[in-house]
Amino acid sequence: MGKVIVVTSGKGGVGKTTSAANLGTALALLGKSVVLVDADVGLRNLDIVMGLESRVVYTSMDVIEKECELNKALVRDRRVNGLMLLAASQKNNKDDMQPEHMKAICDNLRTTYDFILVDSPAGIERGFRNASAGADEAIVVTTPDVSAIRDADRIIGLLQNAEIEPINLVINRFSPQLVGNGSMMDQADVLDILNIDLIGVVPEDSGVITSTNRGIPLVYEDGSPGAQAYMRIARRLTGQRIPIPDLEQKGLFSSLLNWFTKNR
Amino acid sequence: MNLSIKQLFGRKPKSSNIAKQRLKLVITQDRVDVDDRFMTRLHHELAEVLAKYFEFSASSVKMNLKQEGNSYILVADFPYTKFHDMSMRK
Ligand SMILES: Nc1ncnc2c1ncn2[C@@H]1O[C@H](COP(=O)(O)OP(=O)(O)O)[C@@H](O)[C@H]1O
Ligand SMILES: [Mg+2]
Repeated sequence: MGKVIVVTSGKGGVGKTTSAANLGTALALLGKSVVLVDADVGLRNLDIVMGLESRVVYTSMDVIEKECELNKALVRDRRVNGLMLLAASQKNNKDDMQPEHMKAICDNLRTTYDFILVDSPAGIERGFRNASAGADEAIVVTTPDVSAIRDADRIIGLLQNAEIEPINLVINRFSPQLVGNGSMMDQADVLDILNIDLIGVVPEDSGVITSTNRGIPLVYEDGSPGAQAYMRIARRLTGQRIPIPDLEQKGLFSSLLNWFTKNR
Repeated sequence: MNLSIKQLFGRKPKSSNIAKQRLKLVITQDRVDVDDRFMTRLHHELAEVLAKYFEFSASSVKMNLKQEGNSYILVADFPYTKFHDMSMRK
């Protein structure tokens, strides 16, 4: 039986789709069978981020409306074994999708695949409820800024009420430099506020943007810090115990200053 | 002379620390606003601890969170009728 994991955040633009695409690809690279489900109905993006947009024929809406079989609606990613995409409808018929529909799709997929990653839309309304309806677990993505963290806290409350467990946190767009000079909260600060388990920290990486331009997930570029972070998270999702490295990078000057101010 | 290193270098408080403090406050408030069970839970747990020291009637207890400037204050009234004799305890 596979696991259904909703990738969500509350706030938009924090890296849900990027994380879903990279974690899905990374899990497939680790030999798992994976379906990426785009639940952002009306604003679908997972297909283009994955570079599969030209091959989408059917969407989850066609499955719900019984226009086609679930298996036939899945787009196979030819670059790696065992990776599929279920696209969202781009028509603005959000109201036709119900939580039961998503749950039925997820329950069906989990009989065949190891991981089903559901890319959630922003917000705490209908779209989020649909996306999380079939989920066993959640990955909450946040960036280390006040509005993203506040919204993440709202989402965490809703996931807890829905008894979705565990809820793992990804801190995205982390900048060691900004943390070093005191203008960005570090992992400990974010965890102290949100109080859930951290599954990984993804650095700010311009490779995310270029890989998205090309439609080739970053994890194919072994050397990049973002790719390495996503690969580590994927390994943790498969149950491997991998420590979270401290990305904080303090300059000599700020370390000295910190030492003085702490010890004075 | 009583200059700290921070003042010497003209450092303002780190903005990340300000962010963290502001977030903690607002999230406390958000959680109370959206979760009615929060206050009930807090009420029960406080009552449990206080009952070791005082006797009070549960119906007279009042609790709420109020904002004062940029901090939140938990105001809890537990009017007690009797103070347990602590000398009986070890
Ligand atoms: N780690 C990162 N480094 C740099 N850019 C990033 C990173 N993560 C996401 N982005 C960029 O941020 C934007 C929003 O990301 P996206 O995954 O679409 O967010 P969401 O799905 O939460 O709305 C995109 O342009 C993406 O390329
Ligand atoms: Mg998205």
